[in-house]
Amino acid sequence: MDFVQKKTADSAVEPFLAKAAEKGVALVWDRYEGSLPQCGFCETGLNCRDCLQGPCISHPFRDGNKVGVCGKDKDILGVHSFLRLVVHGAMAYLDQLTDFAGGVKSGESSPRDKGQADKLIKDIQALLADGGVGVVQEFPKGLIDGWKAKGVYPEGIARDLFKASQKLDGGTSSVEDTLLWAFKGALSGCMAQVLQGRLKTAVFGDTSPTDVEVNLGVLQQEVPTILLYGHFSPLLKQKIGEAAKGKHIGIMGVCTDPLIPPYSFAPVTNYGSQEIPLMTGAVDLIVAGDQCVNPSLAELAKGWNVEVVQTEVLNRGGDLAGFARKIVEQAQKAFDGRRKVTRDIPGVKESALMGCSAKDVDSKKIAEAMKGGEIKGLAILAGCNNVKFTQDHEIVSLARELLKRDVFCVSEGCASVSLAKYGLLNPRNRESSCGKGLSDLLSSLGKDLPAVVDLGSCENGGVTEFLLAMGKQPKDLPLVACFPEANRTKAVARAAWTVAMGAPTYFWPYLPVTGSPKTVEALGEFCEKTFGAKLNVITEKMEVAEKADLIMKGLERA
Amino acid sequence: MEVIMVDQEKCTQCHTCALWCGIEIGSVAKELNQAIHEEPQPVPRVHVEGNNFPFHCRHCEVAPCIDACPNGTMRRDPKTGLVYVHEPTCIACWMCVMVCPFGIIAPLSSQHIAIKCDRCRNMEYPICVEVCPTNALKLQKTRKGLPDEDSQYVQYSKGLKDF
Repeated sequence: MDFVQKKTADSAVEPFLAKAAEKGVALVWDRYEGSLPQCGFCETGLNCRDCLQGPCISHPFRDGNKVGVCGKDKDILGVHSFLRLVVHGAMAYLDQLTDFAGGVKSGESSPRDKGQADKLIKDIQALLADGGVGVVQEFPKGLIDGWKAKGVYPEGIARDLFKASQKLDGGTSSVEDTLLWAFKGALSGCMAQVLQGRLKTAVFGDTSPTDVEVNLGVLQQEVPTILLYGHFSPLLKQKIGEAAKGKHIGIMGVCTDPLIPPYSFAPVTNYGSQEIPLMTGAVDLIVAGDQCVNPSLAELAKGWNVEVVQTEVLNRGGDLAGFARKIVEQAQKAFDGRRKVTRDIPGVKESALMGCSAKDVDSKKIAEAMKGGEIKGLAILAGCNNVKFTQDHEIVSLARELLKRDVFCVSEGCASVSLAKYGLLNPRNRESSCGKGLSDLLSSLGKDLPAVVDLGSCENGGVTEFLLAMGKQPKDLPLVACFPEANRTKAVARAAWTVAMGAPTYFWPYLPVTGSPKTVEALGEFCEKTFGAKLNVITEKMEVAEKADLIMKGLERA
Repeated sequence: MEVIMVDQEKCTQCHTCALWCGIEIGSVAKELNQAIHEEPQPVPRVHVEGNNFPFHCRHCEVAPCIDACPNGTMRRDPKTGLVYVHEPTCIACWMCVMVCPFGIIAPLSSQHIAIKCDRCRNMEYPICVEVCPTNALKLQKTRKGLPDEDSQYVQYSKGLKDF
């Protein structure tokens, strides 16, 4: 991978790079440059650390060293590299789900819809036990039959993920078989994501599309400010919101679900620049989970005299409300102690409409418009930021390009925050961003929708719900998914299940499988044959317009 | 002359030098994802064998390969002192391969030429030194063909200095 000249497209973030350099503070971009050149074996998936006889590599230029000590050749190494990422990513969703469900079950909160919550808890237990879960049945019959025929139909965590993870330990499975285990694991992650979204609705009530403000400008001068980082139990977020009610306290989020009704936590920034809010001096306390939180925050927070409260600790104790009250008190105290610190808040913010769901957009109308040719198709935009690209540049310019070409764009999670920062989630900018066909369709949908429709946080499965609402198999529709700046293992799992549903997926940067021609081929041709969609691993450098061309070609197939 | 010095204590045998040498010097494509699938397989000029020591050409002051070469294909660059193969005149007799005390020179039968490390003489900096993640490889100036007396490597080898 290359040195990236321009670090970020975000004008709110850019001034802080110079300030960090002046102060000698190393940020993510500095650390990335320090790691160049990155290991070529790891980058192409030609390495393995799954036992203690290694580490092993398959050396592309050395005959005596083509297979690992146990006999994994370049193709097995490549497919294992993919499987490892998918298993890790799927477990992330299961972690979120079990944490939340455990809280609901132990009565930490009184759900709005008790009956529905109880039913979902049963479903969740079934997902963990034998996979026999109602939500799987809601998928189109053709898909379910296909999954069953291939053996990737969810059968409980033990069979899906424990088994899949042990493929890494050994055995003589082929590349294709191993790949199917990866898809099986990914699908259980998918079900977990959908169930978490539904459980949130049952517990907190429905989110309606909400106006939120995005970017560093949402930070405040004279208000004690708590920043919620990453993923942790939404119940704790709710309790923090409750504890701060009526008090003069600002609660915002980074890489976290911004909408826990009735509270909303404005996204201060997105993944790539998650260190920057601290540098403004306008943060008094951080509450951080594990997922999507850079460990660098701990050191950086010390420099700005900010405490980081960890949520994912052993023996947290059952009393969430008490924990939340303590957090709020700590923030107030920290604010008093930090009065001397200058709060250097850039005046950059954008308003955005976030948290739409399948019921807010008439999917039948969209399907008709696709059939009638008014719009060219539908693109799912996902994935957060990756330091290997100029922050936000790829996803935002790709979205702009697709919108102009009349492609209906939906997004979720951090991708939405990226797009929101540049006004693509602001309904006022709709006309100027979209082609005529798309613009007409969006205004005919009744509500005042922005150019890109946000389907909620990456915790919630909004995209899957939306696909379910379309009622057709994705492979029969002009529909693709793009991950223009992916970086988490969760994104790899998400890409895998999107392919398993039959939506062609374009993934950047290229996955660490390129050392194995068979794996790349299997993710393409074999997946096309099996699921009706390819997971495209693209190694060539491409301009945004070329990427858009590629995606348009993918849309033409249906 | 500048030669590549190896700090054995720092070498982890990760083969990164050989990988990037194979891409940058050995391959036609010069790009990771294409080079690793290239046929014939690119041949790196540096090898990491059994011990933690990447073998490079030492550019010997009295170079047996230059002496053994029957038609002046093996040459020394008068400016830099670096020993290299003048490929157009190589007759693939493999005399140099036989006499090299370090086994640095490889017979590339498919192209009928002997190949060896020329310390990236046409590049600004040797690729292996640039990519070594632990700084085990260093470019070091020599005096009269020998490493500087005060260099840490010489002191180390003489037992004068601990690392």
